[in-house]
Amino acid sequence: MKDFSASPEPHGAPTVSEARLLSVLDTAADGIIVIDERARILIFNKACEQMFGIRAAEAVGQNVKIVMPIEYAADHDEYVGSYIRTGVKKIIGIGREVRGRHADGTVFPLELSVGEAATPDGRQFIGILRDLRPRKESEQRLADLQSELVHLARVSAIDEMGAAIAHELNQPLTALMLYLQAIRRAHSRGIDIVTVAGDILDKAAGEAERAGHIIQRMRQFVEKRDPERHVRQLDPLIDEAIDLTLLGQRHRIRIDRQQAPRLPPVSVDPVQVQQIVVNLVRNAIEAAAGTGDPAIVIRTREHEGSVILEVEDNGPGIAPEALAKLFEAFASSKRRGMGLGLAISRTIAQNHGGDLLVDPGGHGRGACFSLVLPAVTASSEIG
Amino acid sequence: MRVHVVEDDAGVSDSLALILRNLGHEVISYSDAESLFRAGMPEPADAVIVDLSLPGIPGAQLVRWLLGLAAPPRVVVITGQSQGFIDHQLRGLKPSWLVRKPLDVEAITRALPVG
Repeated sequence: MKDFSASPEPHGAPTVSEARLLSVLDTAADGIIVIDERARILIFNKACEQMFGIRAAEAVGQNVKIVMPIEYAADHDEYVGSYIRTGVKKIIGIGREVRGRHADGTVFPLELSVGEAATPDGRQFIGILRDLRPRKESEQRLADLQSELVHLARVSAIDEMGAAIAHELNQPLTALMLYLQAIRRAHSRGIDIVTVAGDILDKAAGEAERAGHIIQRMRQFVEKRDPERHVRQLDPLIDEAIDLTLLGQRHRIRIDRQQAPRLPPVSVDPVQVQQIVVNLVRNAIEAAAGTGDPAIVIRTREHEGSVILEVEDNGPGIAPEALAKLFEAFASSKRRGMGLGLAISRTIAQNHGGDLLVDPGGHGRGACFSLVLPAVTASSEIG
Repeated sequence: MRVHVVEDDAGVSDSLALILRNLGHEVISYSDAESLFRAGMPEPADAVIVDLSLPGIPGAQLVRWLLGLAAPPRVVVITGQSQGFIDHQLRGLKPSWLVRKPLDVEAITRALPVG
């Protein structure tokens, strides 16, 4: 392989117009590197000096590999050579995220777009580079903020559920206490309890377990953790979430649960998806509560590569003026609580590659929310 | 004393029956208000323990009906709900006793004095 840096300098001193061009390039916020078809640096602007910690005077004439991490550098000559031979464009006119290397060894992400120009001196490639670190940081901040919001909404949901949970826990605690006191009383009176004690203790243990399960379900729901992806059947997740929603539910309501047979699985964060279901079912129950015969339908079906959950109530539907702001955070007309619910639910759905849609109903029809999640096909399940 | 227990939670109902028998009461258990109505009217000397949160006919409505009888039995309300919910449900009703869950045997003996 030829040593490009040793080849003779093709240019003389910069001409006046060249000097003007260079000064213009130096004002650019993006890094600009121009190379010839042997990957030798012709222009290296001020932004690049900053980005890579190399002065233009040092960089010009060297192979552009000096700003690349070793693993790219090794193949770069081959990329350029292959393009010149075959004309197949891998990066030119496309732009992509690559990594650059600072003189101090730091490797960092950058966005690179490459253009090509035919000049009297041969082909030249113009690379425009943008350091992606600030953008990555803000993406990270956004992701953090979003996870904080999801956590907040969950905490607010738990707050509202607090009373319901207390009620739910009271049941096993009551039973547990009474079983134990029954044994204690019999024992202290010298009554022969040998025949029944085992049975009663089993029941008591069962009640303690039941209390534990309630706590467990709540804990799963409220604890903050990194989003996960698991390939799961949607229906069992939905059923669990419905149970959770109905804990201590005061409204009496008919729930019509319809499941499609043989649904494909979905790749989801189970807790996040259950959060959406809880939210939709709670909303539906509230919407239907005002009617004489409150009823909701919770239905799953498959449609064009997606698994769809529909939650439909027989309430009054959603008013057109409320519809526009339905998915905005804090736009809820409800007095307290789940103002964030639908906004976050939609965000979660979209993070799963799906969406949350609404048919507002009205004129005697209730609203219907659809959670759409991409189905996992046999091929995408691998890996 | 004969004690009618109207409670839909199986664990609570079973343990309550156990302790009540243990205390020397005769116990009849119902999982909802409807089955109590079907079984017939409690005697004035009976006690009825009513859970406020019942499926079907609400507990408060059963309490209202029992207290409206010509010779009402002793009515004991049990509930795990919040005070606000209780006040709202029992507007104007005066059950003989109200016990909030979790229950224990002392609370039951206070509500149902033996003899």
